[in-house]
Amino acid sequence: MRVFVTVGSTRFDPLIEASLSTAVLQALHSRGYTDITVQCGSSRGAGDLALPSEAGTASLMKDGVSVEAWRFKPSLQDEYERADLIISHAGSGTILDVLRMGKTLIVVPNPTLLDNHQAELAEALAARGHLYAAVISDLPRVIELMDGSKLVPFPQFDGSKFRALLDEEMGYI
Amino acid sequence: MDYLIVLLIFLGIALLLSLRIYCISLPKTKSKRPDSSEPCSFAVFLGSGGHTSEALTLVSALDFSRYYPRTYIISEGDGLSAQKVRDLEASKSKTMKAHIASTVPQYTLITIPRARRVHQSLLATPPTALYSLASCIYHVTILPLMQTRSSPFAEVLLLNGPGTCLTLCIATYINRFLGLPSPRLVYVESFARVQSLSLSGKLLRPLVDRFVVQWPELRKLSTKTDYRGWLV
Repeated sequence: MRVFVTVGSTRFDPLIEASLSTAVLQALHSRGYTDITVQCGSSRGAGDLALPSEAGTASLMKDGVSVEAWRFKPSLQDEYERADLIISHAGSGTILDVLRMGKTLIVVPNPTLLDNHQAELAEALAARGHLYAAVISDLPRVIELMDGSKLVPFPQFDGSKFRALLDEEMGYI
Repeated sequence: MDYLIVLLIFLGIALLLSLRIYCISLPKTKSKRPDSSEPCSFAVFLGSGGHTSEALTLVSALDFSRYYPRTYIISEGDGLSAQKVRDLEASKSKTMKAHIASTVPQYTLITIPRARRVHQSLLATPPTALYSLASCIYHVTILPLMQTRSSPFAEVLLLNGPGTCLTLCIATYINRFLGLPSPRLVYVESFARVQSLSLSGKLLRPLVDRFVVQWPELRKLSTKTDYRGWLV
């Protein structure tokens, strides 16, 4: 099984570092994950893995998990598709994309962001059972305890609500 | 004596101005369209990144054979948003019946200079903000006046933040002050805002005609706030 870690266009060193740590890799290994792909954005190097330059890919074998890391791709849809578990920063676009694919998602809000409304979104969706929200130090425990089958399916995009709202506003209804 | 006359004229002008401002601050009454087959011109501001994605998701929900012509307003240098507009328009025209697609006019993309660039010093903000405002006024107020067949900028303007939204709002209010046709302003707060409004949301809430949030926690803020669940 495959894990995909993404930080989007941001820089989120602690998440990259954590996802390549022995504690997290062992937790993943214990849950049957064999491959981890890390989209590291503008983050800096982490421990024993020198992150690739602009377009390169770095790979290594650690704690029984095959690790692959790169910085950006024009679209991450294929990566979400390929993965069984996604660990992500709390960007709302990523959250919507991943949940609508029906994938298990662990969201780690970036605590260094000044206006930390991302954590609010992660917690609100976690409270409704759509995803898991974790802080960095808690990540191994959340991986060990998570159960994707218990997550509440996220509703698909429903354009009728906004269509009705605007039709009403403009006098069509 | 002369001073008194000047003072009276001045007071009169001040009174008229405040009356005018009071009038345009009253809620615009909505009227039902006499003919529901009549199209509605539509404009949307795309604030780049997540703002653009959410705004275009909202636009994708609309009936394109009803909302046209469509105007997409992007910030200078935001090529990514322009590309997303082209992708959306292309995919929408595929789903429309061929005879409708051919009669629906093309969309337009307008570029507005940024009110404030990222990392720009505060001291340098006023000139660029004024330049941005001038550009908004040109598109919203002046250009529609110069066209031979008088058509307003758009009947409705959809906003979801950030920055330049406010300048577009100000330009719209200039139209209202002058009694020119002006778009109805609809603001949709981001799906990412659960407990508190964004800065644009706080600034624009008193100015727009319809203020929409996507989380019930935000509905409590005022009676003017509209909540219909998640829209994106």
